[in-house]
Amino acid sequence: MKEAVHADKVQLDYAAVLGVTSTVGMVLIAAGYIAYLCGLLPSAVSAEEVARNWHLKASEFHKVVHFPSGWEWTGFLGLGDILSYASINYLALVTVICLAWIIPSFVREKDRIYTVMTILQVFVLVFAAAGVVGGGH
Amino acid sequence: MSSIVRDGAARVLLPAVISGMLFFLPSAACAAQVQPADQLAWWVWMLLLFVFTFLLGIIAVVAGVGGGVLFVPIVSSFFPFHIDFVRGAGLLVALSGALSAGSPLLKKGLANLKLALSMALIGSISSIAGAMVGLAMPERIVQLLLGLTIMFISFVMYRAKNSAYPQIDKPDTLSKMLRIYGVYYDEHLKKDVDWQIHRTPVGLFLFIGIGFMAGMFGLGAGFANVPVFNLVLGAPLRVSVATSVFVLSINDTAAAWVYLHKGAVLPLIAVPSIAGMMLGTKIGARLLTKVHTSVVRRVVIALLAVAGLRALLKGFGI
Repeated sequence: MKEAVHADKVQLDYAAVLGVTSTVGMVLIAAGYIAYLCGLLPSAVSAEEVARNWHLKASEFHKVVHFPSGWEWTGFLGLGDILSYASINYLALVTVICLAWIIPSFVREKDRIYTVMTILQVFVLVFAAAGVVGGGH
Repeated sequence: MSSIVRDGAARVLLPAVISGMLFFLPSAACAAQVQPADQLAWWVWMLLLFVFTFLLGIIAVVAGVGGGVLFVPIVSSFFPFHIDFVRGAGLLVALSGALSAGSPLLKKGLANLKLALSMALIGSISSIAGAMVGLAMPERIVQLLLGLTIMFISFVMYRAKNSAYPQIDKPDTLSKMLRIYGVYYDEHLKKDVDWQIHRTPVGLFLFIGIGFMAGMFGLGAGFANVPVFNLVLGAPLRVSVATSVFVLSINDTAAAWVYLHKGAVLPLIAVPSIAGMMLGTKIGARLLTKVHTSVVRRVVIALLAVAGLRALLKGFGI
């Protein structure tokens, strides 16, 4: 028996955008890290300084080492370690992008339950990404 | 006869020897409390982390577990990083693996979007709560709870008997309302398999706990998602595994943001871990048909039990 595609259109939309965004994420992560470790760009904090303090609890670490967290990196673009950090932030945005992408598909299919559920899910993730919960250290 | 003896020895001795070695290896983290940075150059640690996660990636795939569940207890035991950064990296390791595996699983219809969305909404909220609680707790308490959790996981993995094609006679009202059912092409049976689920409210309740645990310890939680989908809800094993990957990508995203905002993610640690695990899982996938997966699975269960015991002892200050 020939293999048939059993995924519905919304699911295929999600898969398509996930395929592209996750591949971009992996490329960004690799590029950012190479730029950081090879010293192609200056760093906000040297690797040696990070290593001297990586045994500290995160909150203590940031009292000693002034490395951005959350979205603070947006003020330090052009630095190697920040670029690497930004690529990790992007990776954590991939699911939000994919979910937001399929909301119009659910709307077009007049699927009220999953439209509302997906909007709520995006809201929860944006809530976390914005640092409304767990912000600051 | 001699092959039976050899197989028996491999099944029992190999896990015992490897887990014994793991137990008695010195803990870099303990040494790090005294002398944080001078023992090895930072780049040596990065290289070791890459090689270590590469090997973890291989055995994780062969044993059929997510990399995150092995990463956190073992790396926090043997590397000089604070457990906050290990958990942050662990979540990203699990997340990157889930994101790269997600697209083909959705396209094939193995992962089910509606099943995943229904469970992930509540799971992601509890995952955020778990991450906040986990990062606020003292290290020793985290180690203690992590040890207990990991030992419990190894027990569940040892005992769990998944069902490839559960028979559901009557779907529950909620799953009918949410239209959670489907059909997928089973490569083993060479035919389409229809499926539906039951006990949806119980599944939703269990995903609260799974999400909380994933966020608190930075674990992928596939080890818990799969039995709930398969044994509780009654989804076929292949659908359960694939949908678990998809749920994990949503729950771990939510928790990862808490770790990012709390400063518990360091690119220096997270990126080599992600790269090592991704490469390792690709090699592991190629080895899957060539190695004795049941022996590797026993090794992983033994590794988890020992890593859990070490975390427990660290929690008690031993």
